[in-house]
Amino acid sequence: MAGSTTDTLAVPRGGPVATPSALAQRLLDIEPGGRSAWLDPAACQAVIARGLPDTRGEPWKYTNVNRWYDVALEAHDTTPLGVDAPDGILVVDFDDPRAQPLAAAHGGKAFDLAEQPLAAVNGLLLGAGLAIVVPSDWHGDAPVRLSEGGPPYQHILLVVESGASMTLIEEASGFTHRIVEAVVEAGGHLHHLRRQRPAPTRECSLVAVRLDQHAQYDLSMSSRGAELRRNDVVVTLAGSAAQVTVHGAWRLVGREHLDNQVAIRHVAPQGLSRQTYRGVVADRARAVLNGRIHIAAGAKATDAALNTKNLLATDNAEVYAKPELEIFESDVQCSHGATVGTLDEEAVFFLRSRGLSDEAARALLVRGFLREAIADDEGAARLELVV
Amino acid sequence: MSLLEVRDLRVNVDDKPILKGLDLTVEPGEVHAVMGPNGSGKSTLASVLAGRPGYDIDAGSITLDDKDLTAATPEERAHLGLFLAFQYPIEIPGVSNMEFLKAAVDAHAAHVGLSEPSAVEFIKRARAAAEQLHLSADFLKRGVNEGFSGGEKKRNEILQMLLLEPRLAVLDETDSGLDIDALQVVAEGINAFRAADNAIVLVTHYQRLLNYVVPDHVHVLIDGRIARSGDRTLAHTLEDEGYGWLDD
Repeated sequence: MAGSTTDTLAVPRGGPVATPSALAQRLLDIEPGGRSAWLDPAACQAVIARGLPDTRGEPWKYTNVNRWYDVALEAHDTTPLGVDAPDGILVVDFDDPRAQPLAAAHGGKAFDLAEQPLAAVNGLLLGAGLAIVVPSDWHGDAPVRLSEGGPPYQHILLVVESGASMTLIEEASGFTHRIVEAVVEAGGHLHHLRRQRPAPTRECSLVAVRLDQHAQYDLSMSSRGAELRRNDVVVTLAGSAAQVTVHGAWRLVGREHLDNQVAIRHVAPQGLSRQTYRGVVADRARAVLNGRIHIAAGAKATDAALNTKNLLATDNAEVYAKPELEIFESDVQCSHGATVGTLDEEAVFFLRSRGLSDEAARALLVRGFLREAIADDEGAARLELVV
Repeated sequence: MSLLEVRDLRVNVDDKPILKGLDLTVEPGEVHAVMGPNGSGKSTLASVLAGRPGYDIDAGSITLDDKDLTAATPEERAHLGLFLAFQYPIEIPGVSNMEFLKAAVDAHAAHVGLSEPSAVEFIKRARAAAEQLHLSADFLKRGVNEGFSGGEKKRNEILQMLLLEPRLAVLDETDSGLDIDALQVVAEGINAFRAADNAIVLVTHYQRLLNYVVPDHVHVLIDGRIARSGDRTLAHTLEDEGYGWLDD
């Protein structure tokens, strides 16, 4: 068990910051240096100085980022960030002397900071940082568990060394911004199960993964919404013949909000990516999925697919499902499909004609629909979260 | 007391009259075949008996074991012992056949106040029924009708009937889309179900299923009414001469 809380912010607390420029000003006033960090504070400030995003740009079209700025400097309970790791896996706090070499070697290497300005805010306000290293010679089955809550800003850096394999089970809620950054070295395998409970909070996260040659990453997300919940996921297939699968299942009710922005970047040949999403949105909730597949020139023999299906349970629910393809190589296979619909009333009648109540019939159909995006042994528990 | 009594049934679909005063009485132990040309109202009759939404009863009554079904929900009818085998069985991806069948059997058990069968007991029963219909055990693990052939879908309907043991089974064109081997397997399933304390209404366009499931009564539905009733020989007459001669 390791945990960390540090509250050494040099910024004034309190008072809402409703605009990007007001927040940027406060962040630029921070004196860099003297604080432990995973990300280079000067680089973070440079990104912020160019301007934090506002609601006008495409990336924040469906989520009012100002509502996140509003709480960005809010302190909340300081329960430590909890992590459980089996013996043999190294867990290092960001203020541990062993941290700096790890930060220098891997911190911020799995994503482009300029494209993730909220990660730059995280970099300056970091409250808990952990590096988790799975050595090549580690062969265990026990998962690493990462709890919910903790200080507002968190950065977890995972290094899966070549040939190693690990499972991360993450409860991803109860923070202001969390970065989960992973480097999976050649032939390594990271299995990431992510659960998000409903919460009356405004929270954002970034999952950034870099895959080396023959490395594999399997992400399975099951989410409820929050007052504002935004997940950015960036996976870069940097080495040849890397593989990634992403499954996402969500069910939103009331006024819950969930915005998933997933980008799969094929930059090396023979990469394989599969994305499967199923969402059920009821009441006045809003779900967003932007699924980008980027295939760079030279990423020959890439095989990429994205499939998203959404059910609208009421007239006032909102779904924005957008596949986005950027293909700069001709020798590829790439497919995508997106549908938005309602429950099949003929199927409801079929189940009722077999004796199920209307309510039970609809629940069974929703369960089956979501299950299509939950494809692993621990699926049952995560399915319970969303059905 | 008859098992099923339909009296002067008048039904509109999208404000258009489809059934125009239909009478039908079914006694326990009987098999009735309802035949008729396309558009005569055969499938409407099956839908109305099962309570499909959108089929408004304008006048008349349906009683099952003396209980009025006219205003009952589809699940209430199922609990009272009515079963409809769908002409076009529904695919439910993500829900295994086993999960679905267990949910249906449990719903019936709950209604009659019996405890649900244990998982082991249920699997045994389901496997035996699947075997009877020449379906592999693997069939129970697959999503409901997901990727099933036409014949497998129809056999799956019969499987549900065998497990739910209804009082009255209404089979809506269960023979359509079946090759001769599948037709025989389906017929065997229906005959195995047939008993002195239940009844079957076979809705069909063709006579060929009736070679295997021999009906006690045959009715011809024309333009929303029973135009003629008879014994099994009526089906042969229809096979030879078509429906045209009944128009006169």
